[in-house]
Amino acid sequence: VSDVITTQRVHWDLNYDVHLGATWGRFMQGLTEQKILTNRCPECSRVFVPPQAYCESCFVKTDEWLELPPEGAVEAFTVAWLGFRGGPTPPYAIAGIRLDGASTLLMHYVGGLDLGNPNTIREQIGPGTRVRAVWAEERTGQILDIAHFEKI
Amino acid sequence: MATRAVIAGVGITPATSPRKQTSSSLELIQEAVWGALQHSGAAPDSLDGIVIGNIDGFEGTVLGAKHMVRRLGLGPDLPVSILNTGGTTGGNLVQVAARQVRAGDRRRVLVIGGPTFFGAEDLQSAINTNSPMIVEQPLGMGAYHMGAFYPSAYTERFGATVEDFAVSAVQDHEHASRNPYAHLRNTMTVEDVVSAKPLSYPLTMAMVCPVSTSANALVVCAEGTTEDLRPVPVLIKAFATSSDPYLGGGKNDFAAMENLAILAQKVYQLADVRDPRAEIDVVEVFSPYAPMQPMQLEALGFAAPGGGIELIRSGATRIDGDVPVNLSGGPLCTNAGVAGELAPIVYVALQLMGDAPEAMQVPGARRGLAHGTGGTFFQFENLAILERM
Repeated sequence: VSDVITTQRVHWDLNYDVHLGATWGRFMQGLTEQKILTNRCPECSRVFVPPQAYCESCFVKTDEWLELPPEGAVEAFTVAWLGFRGGPTPPYAIAGIRLDGASTLLMHYVGGLDLGNPNTIREQIGPGTRVRAVWAEERTGQILDIAHFEKI
Repeated sequence: MATRAVIAGVGITPATSPRKQTSSSLELIQEAVWGALQHSGAAPDSLDGIVIGNIDGFEGTVLGAKHMVRRLGLGPDLPVSILNTGGTTGGNLVQVAARQVRAGDRRRVLVIGGPTFFGAEDLQSAINTNSPMIVEQPLGMGAYHMGAFYPSAYTERFGATVEDFAVSAVQDHEHASRNPYAHLRNTMTVEDVVSAKPLSYPLTMAMVCPVSTSANALVVCAEGTTEDLRPVPVLIKAFATSSDPYLGGGKNDFAAMENLAILAQKVYQLADVRDPRAEIDVVEVFSPYAPMQPMQLEALGFAAPGGGIELIRSGATRIDGDVPVNLSGGPLCTNAGVAGELAPIVYVALQLMGDAPEAMQVPGARRGLAHGTGGTFFQFENLAILERM
């Protein structure tokens, strides 16, 4: 079987421009100004971060905007010991963060942790840990305008 | 009364790793299709439709399914339906075929799940293209990182340990060791699972599915049109799909499979199942990450919240238990993309026909549950109840 050719390598390398739309466009513009802009459903009063044009539960337009503080609490987290090609260098911590006043979670990095010992991870960023956004010095209107969150 | 749909034949190929696989996707699909036709006894010219699926980009093409069907040699006139719903493609194939039959539009449909994890050199990078662009994809979240959020949250609520999350992995491997079609057939201890390479807290390598190559196929027919076919037909009694907000941050609760619990209520109502543990004889759930399985069993009503691990530990989910789960070894031991997603239905149908490999057959199984899920945060679920006729 060793002389049978079984595979041929194929490569894809494509760039795309994803159109953000008005709602996420405003959110991204807010990030450049160090503001977390969100919106609220007029019927169920849930606050969405990132914002969304419609509430998918009530099927109504969510046109009331508000700014949330860049602080909240970790609700769920993981620490990546193994990454993937094109991704950040492990280890790194990612969390679902409930910003104060938000009804959804914002996913983001949590920096400034000692990830050397797996047994101490939970006590460092277990659920309930208070965190605050650390802004990137250069902001261009993308989610990484928040460089990461760090423990308060 | 509307026509009902039955499964009357399945085909499975043995699975192996991409590196060891010497057949092409087309060859594996041909083998599964011929296997299903042979098992059912259906003549190729008795088919009146094909439903096939793929996952865009995973095979370096967006034509993964379309370019296959003509080369199966089943004739040029068969209408083909293509599905492309990511990790739920396999489960949805059967739902679409069943709807075509129930609508009276088709009478005998061939369903094909191919080896769609076959090609990607780095599958995590390919899967990561499915995660929400713009706000979550830039955050270093590949598939298993997202899968790790659930056991992390479950630990907080119920105090589960890494040793607890290992129990379903140990059991899946034990089951797979008796399934001649499974990819990973080695048995493992809790210690093996816990001490495997750490991937993403609290997941270890042994809690995550392999990349497999195999193909599965089955034949869906209109009830009462299977007199010429060999297997005992299996009724597709009830089925449905469900989805929750796409963003991971839109999840309400990572410590419970809320979306699946809602879907289960709906499907149990359609199938008139009131006490799932007493009324269901065999279960295949899609748990490519071991900690998902106890959580899914809770959402499906086989255990109370926080009780899924104890259910598995009790032996109830083994072959001689009252609710055997993943006797195939599940996706933790064999996951070939769309073929892997179709596998729960294939294995439950085999069990109910009485045609499962002898070492894994549940004697007298009459009603089964087959589950599928997909999306990087498992936002999409599908569920079916099957019954021996």
